[in-house]
Amino acid sequence: MKNSLSRFKFLRGLQGSVLGLPMLEAFSQEVKVAKRMVHFYVPIGVVRKGFFPGEQDQHLVDFGNNGDKHSHRSLKEITKPVGEHPLKISMPTLEPLQPMLQKTTLITGLDRVFQDGTDVHAQCASCYLSSAAPYRISNSAWPLDRTLDHVVADEIGSETPFKTLAFSCNPHQDMKESIYFDNISWYGTGHLAPSMRHPRKIYQRLFNLKKQDHREITSLVLADARSFKRRLSYADRHKLEEYFEGIRNIEHQMVKLEGMSDRLMKLKLREPKSSYLPRGQFIQVMADLMVAALQSGLTHVSTFMVAPERWDTPYLFDEISDQPMSHHKMSHHQSKYVETLMQVDRFHVRQFVTMLQKMDRIKELDGQSLLDHSLVTYGSGLGDGATHQYNDLPIIMAGGHSMGYRGGRHIRAPKGTPLANLWLRQAQSLGVERSQFADSTSTLNV
Amino acid sequence: MVLFGMAEAQDEAKWEAFARSHCLECHGGKKVKGKVDLKDYLKLDQLASDLELTKNLIEVLDYEEMPPEDEAQPSKSERSNILGVLERFFDSTLKENRVFAQSPMRRMNRFQYSNAVKDLFELKTMVFSLPERMMRDHSQYFNPSSGKMPETVQVGSRPLGKSQMISESVFQDVAPFPQDLRAEHGFDNRGDHLTLSPMLLESFLELSSRIVDANQFNSRYVGIWDRFFKTPDDKNAVNVLEQRIGRFLQRAFRRPVLSSEIQPYLEFSREKLAAGAHFTEVMKAVAKAVIASPKFLYLYDDTSENASTTEVSSFDLASRLSFFLWGSLPDQTLLDLAAKDELLKYEVLLSQADRMLNDKKLKRFTDSFPTQWLQLERIISSRLDKDEFPFFYKARYRSSMHMMLEPLLLFETVLIENRSVIELLNPSFTYQSDWLANPKGKDKFSVGKIPFKRREIHDRRYGGIITNLAVLTMTSGSKETHPITRGAWLSTVVFNNPPPPPPADVPPLPEKPAAGDENLTLRERLNQHRERSDCAGCHDKIDPLGFALENFDAMGMWRDQYENGRQIDMQGKLFRKHRFDNALEFKKAILKEKDRFVRGLAGHLLSFALARELDASDEPSIEFITAQTISKDYRFREMIKAVVQSTSFRMKTTPAKLVQHLPSKKQR
Repeated sequence: MKNSLSRFKFLRGLQGSVLGLPMLEAFSQEVKVAKRMVHFYVPIGVVRKGFFPGEQDQHLVDFGNNGDKHSHRSLKEITKPVGEHPLKISMPTLEPLQPMLQKTTLITGLDRVFQDGTDVHAQCASCYLSSAAPYRISNSAWPLDRTLDHVVADEIGSETPFKTLAFSCNPHQDMKESIYFDNISWYGTGHLAPSMRHPRKIYQRLFNLKKQDHREITSLVLADARSFKRRLSYADRHKLEEYFEGIRNIEHQMVKLEGMSDRLMKLKLREPKSSYLPRGQFIQVMADLMVAALQSGLTHVSTFMVAPERWDTPYLFDEISDQPMSHHKMSHHQSKYVETLMQVDRFHVRQFVTMLQKMDRIKELDGQSLLDHSLVTYGSGLGDGATHQYNDLPIIMAGGHSMGYRGGRHIRAPKGTPLANLWLRQAQSLGVERSQFADSTSTLNV
Repeated sequence: MVLFGMAEAQDEAKWEAFARSHCLECHGGKKVKGKVDLKDYLKLDQLASDLELTKNLIEVLDYEEMPPEDEAQPSKSERSNILGVLERFFDSTLKENRVFAQSPMRRMNRFQYSNAVKDLFELKTMVFSLPERMMRDHSQYFNPSSGKMPETVQVGSRPLGKSQMISESVFQDVAPFPQDLRAEHGFDNRGDHLTLSPMLLESFLELSSRIVDANQFNSRYVGIWDRFFKTPDDKNAVNVLEQRIGRFLQRAFRRPVLSSEIQPYLEFSREKLAAGAHFTEVMKAVAKAVIASPKFLYLYDDTSENASTTEVSSFDLASRLSFFLWGSLPDQTLLDLAAKDELLKYEVLLSQADRMLNDKKLKRFTDSFPTQWLQLERIISSRLDKDEFPFFYKARYRSSMHMMLEPLLLFETVLIENRSVIELLNPSFTYQSDWLANPKGKDKFSVGKIPFKRREIHDRRYGGIITNLAVLTMTSGSKETHPITRGAWLSTVVFNNPPPPPPADVPPLPEKPAAGDENLTLRERLNQHRERSDCAGCHDKIDPLGFALENFDAMGMWRDQYENGRQIDMQGKLFRKHRFDNALEFKKAILKEKDRFVRGLAGHLLSFALARELDASDEPSIEFITAQTISKDYRFREMIKAVVQSTSFRMKTTPAKLVQHLPSKKQR
């Protein structure tokens, strides 16, 4: 990646000249298109019998054991042949995948390990992209380490103004849950990468061409930060790094953004209105912003949380009901709410697919689509909202054609395969040279 | 306490014998209940490696929570003997090696930032609206130096009332960064929640510019305008730079500033002036940088150089005091006293605490501590069933906007009038709107400025932080009460003993009874539903507290029967000691344990003041605050003064190098 000519550098090299895209396509042989990564997080697991092929006849469990134990003992054992199978859409929750079947792969059988001592919902979200081996992180109750998006961005993020972006469609106004329920992107243990959740603010922040230049201030505050260090204890000096990193990032951003105004103008993105939108439309406005950021090269790495974990407060799924509903509360009464819950699950898959279709319609310089150049992963930190299991998580991968990924398959991983094996495989595909990520045991063969 | 060899050996033998006969059956060897395993802690020096565990042992033995009721009990003297052994051991171990947990460096939260900016520039307006300040004062009633609350106050509910966020005087075009979340069982000032990311830092830079460039940022609204921003009469403006910037930095950074720290700012402004920039604009640029500087944004204690625990510096103390009571920067008086090292003197510290408690800025304390302590933000999302509780709704509004204000006004009154904190539990008065005084009546329901009148409480079933409509409603579901939620709230808030989170595999009770269960009481249904024996440990503690309030329905209204006609069954025993048969007796039972409430409140206050979780090393401070409060007739101001006198508040452990301490808390 480092030696290749990125599209971004290429465009900057033209110094803002007004060449149209068709002419550029003539160079497509030499142009390497950037690789991207997106993680689409769905909270509170799924109803298994609607999602996992082979489990459709399983009876429902209204509640189940903690994350640390395997799935509920009263369930019948199902033989699941491991390995690769053609993906056939027989499950109701997966129906929306149909139009994108050839570009998606269902992956089942991946596990995380629960570390006793923190809430299952909080841990399943905050540690989803990190899954450090239990008790490896000292001084923390969370098996939480630098998350995959940041590890990848360390490698491929320096090309873009923003190394990573985190989006969240959290609809709640009451601040009743802690940060661990509400974030999947972390710089490291105890160091949150907060997400953006207001479409207009996101627009202002990412696509507003008249951005303030803070460089005058940053040089002064950096001098302060340096003299500040001497006053601090060991632990605090360590924490001050977040400030230096922040300033470095902002300065980097300002330099990079200078060369991008032409490209951002071409997006023709309209500023989102602040009026109320039905749930699905709201999610898609957020998806539009994210896709535009990926397309324009504002970032190559992004996370997208459809909603936070737990959070009992009801909210409106306009497409499903005219009454506010609590996804979490319903998940504890699967037998009563199974139809509604499966509608919610299907609704989330549909939102995912709509986003994929948008990415697939955007053609890159080499003729392939934005989706083909992106690894896009749908997933949840719970295998089921009722059993709260950390094993056999619902994972769907899409795109990545340019990195050798093929769709239309269902891959069943052998029992006990860490989710981190998939994360390692993705990191490698995106150019990270390492042989271990979190608690991985090997690279998942996708 | 000095231990001699003989006594030590005896204590050792006593502990092992006691543990073997009363603890090990369930907590070691074969069974490990409640994740407490004592098999490797039969020797005292083994216990020394886990003081947290030792503290818990003392607590459960002292409060007679262990051994469980249905097991053989140690005799009274046996119990007090072993408590003596453990307490002696705990105190002497702590004395040898008292290492405080470090409050990690943390950026100001949104509330503190807004206050600090206001105080630094002496703004005559708010910077931005903050919904986290739940109660709005419409009649300037808050006047702590008067020692008296007026008979009537006009207040509004920011999150739920009408137009409570807009007409406030704030800067235009200055949007705040997102509200900070509260830690589980804690406050919104904790280090692990208050980190900086590039995105947040960018918002801070943006915010700096927006504030200083706002239209109202001028001589009319900015108190320090003439002292800092105004072009000096002196033709040679450069002369005043050093003095003005030096003073400003010292105030913003809450510490003495070295000339080397002023230098970059001086150079910057000299260059700008030389290049022909306008004086005020140059000073504005300096101000923008200062409020985005890490020295302004971060709260921290100076490093104590070596590993040992030391007294805080006088400037640390000034900041601890002001962020505790004013949610903001120390004022010039505190900084001056700190500069002379006067603040470290006991009498000075106490008189300053008094001065601060008399200052109107104390409102920041009552705007943050009580809502978070009582978890009142939960009432914002309470929505009762429209059919069953029609009078919960008032046109487009919810009556919860009145409810939330009652406990807050009680809290402020007890503090301002320096009354006994026990009145938080059982006051003889309360502040109520007309609606609260008669929720089913037809009185006018105000939605903007709401008059609250001081009223005598004749019916003692109501009144206090427990039995008020806000708490009773927010701990219920939309149709039915949730006794377990109420019990957990009581245990956490009133006694500062939060139950561990329930295992995720236990389903909540359905709101509607299953077929065939229609004639059961809630308690009977719950007993049926709770069969697992490992649940009993916690539920024996929290359930009686919650069921005791069953006479109050999901909106806090009195009832004698359930809808199915069965009598409410609320009887129980508080802490296995005090029997109660009705709501009044329950209140009396709680009052019998009032010192335990004081102890709990001491912990909440200290944890808020230190912005961290407490641990075993803070135990002596909790004891001190509790004892002080009791000896001073439980007066609230005395209690707060005891907090700032406690060793935990005046000491710190902030080593410059990485040191491995004796683990006071183990991962279990």
